[in-house]
Amino acid sequence: MNIISFLGNVQKFVPRFLAAFRITIELAVISLIFATIVGIIVGLINTSKSKNIIMRFLRILCNVYINIIRGTPMLVQILIIYYGIPQFLGFRWVDLGGMFPASVVVLTLNAGAYMAEIVRAGIEAVDPGQIEASRSLGLSYGKTMRRIVLPQALRTMLPSIINQFIISIKDTSLMSTIGLAELTNVAKTINANWSSATLALYCYLACYYLIICLSLAQLSKFVERKMSYGRD
Amino acid sequence: MVEINKNAEEKIVVKNLKKNFGKAEVLKDISTTVHKGEVLCIIGPSGSGKSTFLRCINRLEDITAGQMIVDGVDITDTKININKIRENIGMVFQHFNLFPHMTVLENITLAPVELKKMTKDEAKVRAHELLERVGLKEFADRYPSQLSGGQKQRVAIARALAMNPDIMLFDEPTSALDPEMVGEVLNVMKDLAQQGMTMVVVTHEMGFAREVGTRLIFMDGGYIVEEGDPREVINNPKEPRTINFLNQVL
Repeated sequence: MNIISFLGNVQKFVPRFLAAFRITIELAVISLIFATIVGIIVGLINTSKSKNIIMRFLRILCNVYINIIRGTPMLVQILIIYYGIPQFLGFRWVDLGGMFPASVVVLTLNAGAYMAEIVRAGIEAVDPGQIEASRSLGLSYGKTMRRIVLPQALRTMLPSIINQFIISIKDTSLMSTIGLAELTNVAKTINANWSSATLALYCYLACYYLIICLSLAQLSKFVERKMSYGRD
Repeated sequence: MVEINKNAEEKIVVKNLKKNFGKAEVLKDISTTVHKGEVLCIIGPSGSGKSTFLRCINRLEDITAGQMIVDGVDITDTKININKIRENIGMVFQHFNLFPHMTVLENITLAPVELKKMTKDEAKVRAHELLERVGLKEFADRYPSQLSGGQKQRVAIARALAMNPDIMLFDEPTSALDPEMVGEVLNVMKDLAQQGMTMVVVTHEMGFAREVGTRLIFMDGGYIVEEGDPREVINNPKEPRTINFLNQVL
């Protein structure tokens, strides 16, 4: 009978869920925009073959960053950035706007590293003959990247980028551990006060994630279909 | 920077060219001169360095030692703007390397427009002329994936010609083609030769070398082993290595 009592009472906490949903979406969208920028910059640095000393140093730095993020759990990254670094550097996240900006920083750094690998793989997947053909026509490295390599790389990257969006949206639920009022945190709070319908409540929570992630997965399929050139 | 001399009688002068890949010496000591209007064919077994030599002419491969003088400019000099030199040297690849995300027309107009040699409209007119010349005037709006191998290679030739180069390099242009498509590509190259284009062609097509080539180089092990009139070299090779190679391919 729990389900029936849940359905009877669901409208009571819908507004709280919607408010939390908004925070989840805002966190995901802002972080993923920053992460995409970080990913493109780091990915371009990593694929440059320049022997310049500054570029070499930057490449090492970028590799260290990617390895640290990929080699540690996101929960540990949250603990380090939310609790560890402020204590060490002597500031408080509260003074910088609280949990939301902290969450944006964590999610940006985390998704940015994976995005950088997606960008690198996308660029490296472009046939080297494409670069040679472009350079042999007299086009510079920059023009070749812009007109030949990146448009082709983007097409192979898009499904992976959308996949990373899906992963990062699900990762926002980890921010409940630092108390950000996003979806998972709100569901846990409601459950603490109204524990008779735990299964129904958490399934209701899961539906929010399902809706966003499944729509993105559909978008990915659509993009993949649209990707082939002149093969319709 | 030394002025590019498009009217140089000696289009390409190679002096003691060496090229290493790491510890492997691919080109050991290459010297030759290509004159205006010459069609130089290069043959040799795989691994002989013939493609590497061709790629040194527009510095797609960095040159380890020696000189490579193209239109009066030593391109081993790192201070020159290599892109300016490359505008003057068209290149055609074994695997076509057409840009798959662009139509045939966009493939051809890209470089002249991007490098501000022509306006968009001028480049389009020129592209249609070139497509007609290679027998593909109906194909301007197709994508490369919709063309056969022979058609792709003819588009690639048109794309290289769009910059009005006065040297054309061909890197085994018919090796990736089905046999029935080889002829259409060779015919386009033959036309080009007859119009006086300076050409360097790495090829396995002995018929083409004999008929169109003005000079033949046989390379092996990073050296020029034998060189001369194509009919003479193919019919009466002097060096044992040349004789051996020709026995295998003819």
